[in-house]
Amino acid sequence: MSELFVVGISWRTAPVAVREKLAFRDEELVPALQAMTGSLPVAEALLVSTCNRVEVYGVARPGAEPTEQVRGFLAQQRGLPPGSVADVLYAHRGGAAIRHVFSVASALDSLVLGEAQILGQLKAAYGVAGGAGTSGPVLGRCLERAFGVAKRVRTETAIARGAANVSTVAVDLAKRVFGDLNGKSVLVVGAGKMSTLAARHLYASGAQRIIVTNRSPEKAEALAAEIDGVAKPWADLEGLLVEADVVISSTGAREPILTKALFKRVTKARRWRQLVVIDIAVPRDAEPAIGELDGVYVFDIDDLEKVVAANLAERAKAAEHAGRIVEHEAGQFEHWLRSQGVVPTIRALRERFAQVAEAELQKTLDQLARKEHSQAQQREAVQRLVQLVVNKLLHQPTAALREASPDEAGLRAEVLCQLFDLEPVSSSDAGEPGAEPAPPPGAPHSAPRAEAAPERKVAT
Amino acid sequence: MTSTHARLLSVDPSPAFWVAVAAYAAAALVLLFVLGGHSRLRSLALLLVGLAFVAHGSDIGWRGVEHVHPAQSVREAIGFLSFIITGGYLLASTRYRLTLGGAAVMPVSLVLLVVARLSPAGAAPEDLSTLGRIHISLATVGVGVFALASALSVIYLVEERALRRKRFDAIAFKDNGAPLEALDRLSHRLIWIGFPIFTVALVLGAVWVSKLGESLDRPEYPLAAVTWIFYAVLLVVRQTYGWRGRKAARLTLAGFAAALIVLLIYLVRRMAG
Repeated sequence: MSELFVVGISWRTAPVAVREKLAFRDEELVPALQAMTGSLPVAEALLVSTCNRVEVYGVARPGAEPTEQVRGFLAQQRGLPPGSVADVLYAHRGGAAIRHVFSVASALDSLVLGEAQILGQLKAAYGVAGGAGTSGPVLGRCLERAFGVAKRVRTETAIARGAANVSTVAVDLAKRVFGDLNGKSVLVVGAGKMSTLAARHLYASGAQRIIVTNRSPEKAEALAAEIDGVAKPWADLEGLLVEADVVISSTGAREPILTKALFKRVTKARRWRQLVVIDIAVPRDAEPAIGELDGVYVFDIDDLEKVVAANLAERAKAAEHAGRIVEHEAGQFEHWLRSQGVVPTIRALRERFAQVAEAELQKTLDQLARKEHSQAQQREAVQRLVQLVVNKLLHQPTAALREASPDEAGLRAEVLCQLFDLEPVSSSDAGEPGAEPAPPPGAPHSAPRAEAAPERKVAT
Repeated sequence: MTSTHARLLSVDPSPAFWVAVAAYAAAALVLLFVLGGHSRLRSLALLLVGLAFVAHGSDIGWRGVEHVHPAQSVREAIGFLSFIITGGYLLASTRYRLTLGGAAVMPVSLVLLVVARLSPAGAAPEDLSTLGRIHISLATVGVGVFALASALSVIYLVEERALRRKRFDAIAFKDNGAPLEALDRLSHRLIWIGFPIFTVALVLGAVWVSKLGESLDRPEYPLAAVTWIFYAVLLVVRQTYGWRGRKAARLTLAGFAAALIVLLIYLVRRMAG
């Protein structure tokens, strides 16, 4: 049976210094996938390479166990000596591999539990594999199911609830005061990277305009251009504060810029309209005392981090429930995959039986068509037909049982008993069928009983 | 005539009253569960509030059929006040998530209704003039609207305090509390609505009392005036100086406290005969 496998490396097993050595650029994915399926006993393959993981999801060719080879392949592709990364590359097969894929898609294996990016990255990787012609029915089904599970986990558990980073927490806090950010204006003081992110989030949440001010007008202009804002001179700070609803501050100043004296004037000029100040600078830009003023809410970096930590703790709690969903879904998928393995056998068996029956039926019909037959003769012909079909069908298995070694014969007999629900009776006590109770289904048969089976078979 | 009144005033609560009591209690309980994280129960809670409102209205209607006017006495008016508060809450919760507000308002409505129906009826009042009825009706509606504004102010203060102290997981924010700005604005609008109604009620009350020839030195009269002054000041300073938020919320509550004392004095006097 073709088996699913995972070979890879993630933030759990290796630091970025190692992960970056194994990372693939987008344009390297297709050649790598094609080389893998071309040179290794791998029927289907997908490669996902993000900053937190590099993983191969694949399907082995029947009978092959290619995980070792894939390890070597990854090292060789990145020009590393094979031994150097063998330790950090993990490998999962079968059920464990399915569980892993489902966990990754559901962001249970992510550095930030429940983050939304990984799902998009997996979908992209799946698309690339499709384009490279290396994804097939098994991998396809597995990934489609994984996307479904990820959706279920997101809707049924709290894994993705609560902001998980500082800039989205800033948006959440502003929403607690204003509800809707539509029509609100955001003032960015200073041009730190964090304030850029936070301003972007606020803008995406409906804030109407973003105003940027900085001691250096050039920097203000540059940042304003980057985030669709308007740059205003630093000298206007007080007036800008009066106009704003949300202030994001991250200057490199050593002394507080947003002082209580300034804010006393500002709040009065604002007529005490609500003002949210998010101070992500260290050292802080805002004097904590301005938070005592009516209508002013100040949050520093610690406050934001505290919310992030609390939300992540909630997510960790939800991860337990999510884990159970993944476990359940993976079990079902594994079961389905196994059942797919026997489908060709079932098909062949049915075809063979149909062929035999068809051939004999044709012969009999031909005979009957040749001349008039009495009813008794017709009945005899049908009886003969049934006999012939049964004999022909049983010939092959009977011969195989007889010719097998004693051990093998016992095993085969046992399987036959299970398949056909037989109750083997040894020839000595054949006179009293049912004298011995039937074994419970699935219970291992005792050796003598198993040996008795072929005798009975032969007798029929 | 007086004896008829005595009979009418001791009209027993209707079955709808008991339904309303049960629905209020259940709604308060379910709202607490919603606050505790069972968000799925939110629609059930609103359904129960709706049921309480309808049953409460039916009870008032039934008393009307029995010739007990909702503004016939302070006792009846309190039952009507509770009805207005519930209706206002229902209306507001179509726009905002006021779970905490509901958990606070439902017990208030329940207590007011029970007081109105089950407190001793006391002696029958003098025959009410039309003037008296209009006064009581308007005063009830006015105080009802102030009660809603006060409920919003309480939520505002609780949420604001939690946010200022950075207690982000406080009860105020369970089930996504209503945003501060909206609470402030809504409370202000309610005072704008309630103030003119209350003003007319106050003037009619003064006229009524002077017509009856009673003296004006009872403590409830200046207290009612204090309520009016609080709200008048609030509206003026908000309009001219832009007072809002914490200060406005506190002033709203102070005004309502004075109104409550007036109601209480009426009720006690009535029960004492």
